[in-house]
Amino acid sequence: MDKKKTILIVDDIEINRAVLAEIFKDNYDIIEACNGAEAIEIINGDINISAVLLDLIMPEINGLGVLEEMNKNGKIKRIPVFLITTADSKEMLLEGYDLGAVDVIQKPFMARFLKCRINNVIELYGHRNELEQIVAEQIKRLNYINQSMIETLATVIEFRDCESGEHVKRISSLTHILMSEVSRLYPEYYLPQNEIDKVSASAVLHDVGKISIPDSVLNKPGRLTEEEFEMMKQHTVKGCEILQNIPDIMDKGIYNYSYDICRHHHERWDGKGYPDGLSGDDISIWAQVVSVVDVYDALTSERVYKKAFSHDKALNMIYHNECGVFNPKILKAFENIADRIAKKH
Amino acid sequence: MSLLEELKDLGVNIDEAVERFMGNQSLYEKMLKKFPDMLNKASINPDFDCNDYTEVIEKTHAVKGAAGNLSLTPIYEAYTKIVDLLRNGQPEQAQIILKEIQPVQAQIIACIEKYM
Repeated sequence: MDKKKTILIVDDIEINRAVLAEIFKDNYDIIEACNGAEAIEIINGDINISAVLLDLIMPEINGLGVLEEMNKNGKIKRIPVFLITTADSKEMLLEGYDLGAVDVIQKPFMARFLKCRINNVIELYGHRNELEQIVAEQIKRLNYINQSMIETLATVIEFRDCESGEHVKRISSLTHILMSEVSRLYPEYYLPQNEIDKVSASAVLHDVGKISIPDSVLNKPGRLTEEEFEMMKQHTVKGCEILQNIPDIMDKGIYNYSYDICRHHHERWDGKGYPDGLSGDDISIWAQVVSVVDVYDALTSERVYKKAFSHDKALNMIYHNECGVFNPKILKAFENIADRIAKKH
Repeated sequence: MSLLEELKDLGVNIDEAVERFMGNQSLYEKMLKKFPDMLNKASINPDFDCNDYTEVIEKTHAVKGAAGNLSLTPIYEAYTKIVDLLRNGQPEQAQIILKEIQPVQAQIIACIEKYM
């Protein structure tokens, strides 16, 4: 059998509470509060309340005070509140409705009608809360699937580059750490947490364009000829073309970040990068962050044309502009987190 | 005569009240016996100050609600009028009704107290 739902009855007059309790006691667990403060404490407590029957006129904190509190903590959206009244205080009733009360109970109570009305609303709210929960779970699952698809796509591409899925995960986590530090240090580069999450999710697609680069170039053990290097550079532009063809697999925010990171993660602070030769802060902060992360990860990983460098050696090379010039502010942030990163590698 | 029979003679709508208490007559009687104390706490001097009667509104309002739920019809009807008059800014008229209901009220309370 289903567990009984709970109704909270709030009235300073015991006689009124007793009548209501008697009406509902067979079908619900009843909790009584004799003033607003007590009611707020119960509503904010651990017990799951399915409805509140609330007297408006009470000493100290009145019914409106309870409604205000429920608006502050958002419970008014989940718990239906019925105002108990004798219909002689119209202003208060209207204010109660404005504060989110669902209905009014007139004193003296009409037991049978009251039972039907309150049962109906509780059932309705129950369905609604259940649906909201299902939708929230579905959205979570959908986001998870989206992210898995993005990561799968990225991993497939890195695999051609003789990389494992680990590279993809590292890029995402390093981007998260560095972007958070940059955002923390510099107000001009501040991003809220949920945007940082999106940037790190997007970062994994930075090399998606490599799928269009022939094996002979992508996996060439030696130095690339000028012509081959030009071909290699095209992975930034090609990546954007691929993303343009699959905009629906990701949400708009992630799409925009991915597109930008894909195109600009080889731009450099001094304008000597590619494909557009952007310089300084014309390059978005997220593309700049992914550039540094990508270079660091490439240096510390083994590739067909090179051995893995140590963490210290890689830092040294980055700080001395051996892989192009980076934004000094990002390098400062990178220095701050270098030890944490070393432990991860 | 029982409590409910005596109250019926004083104009109390017993049937309506018992229905409200979902047929639970003994709970109704129990709550009736709480009414004198409640009324005592909310007691109002019929010669209240007509310039400041906020507290009077609160008290009469409380009596009205409880009397209504107990179907103490004469008290409920009188206090409904009193609250309306007070809210309309007619305290003098409210005083008149309050004085009129006092003896009826006393009779009902005496009847309940007899069975306590």
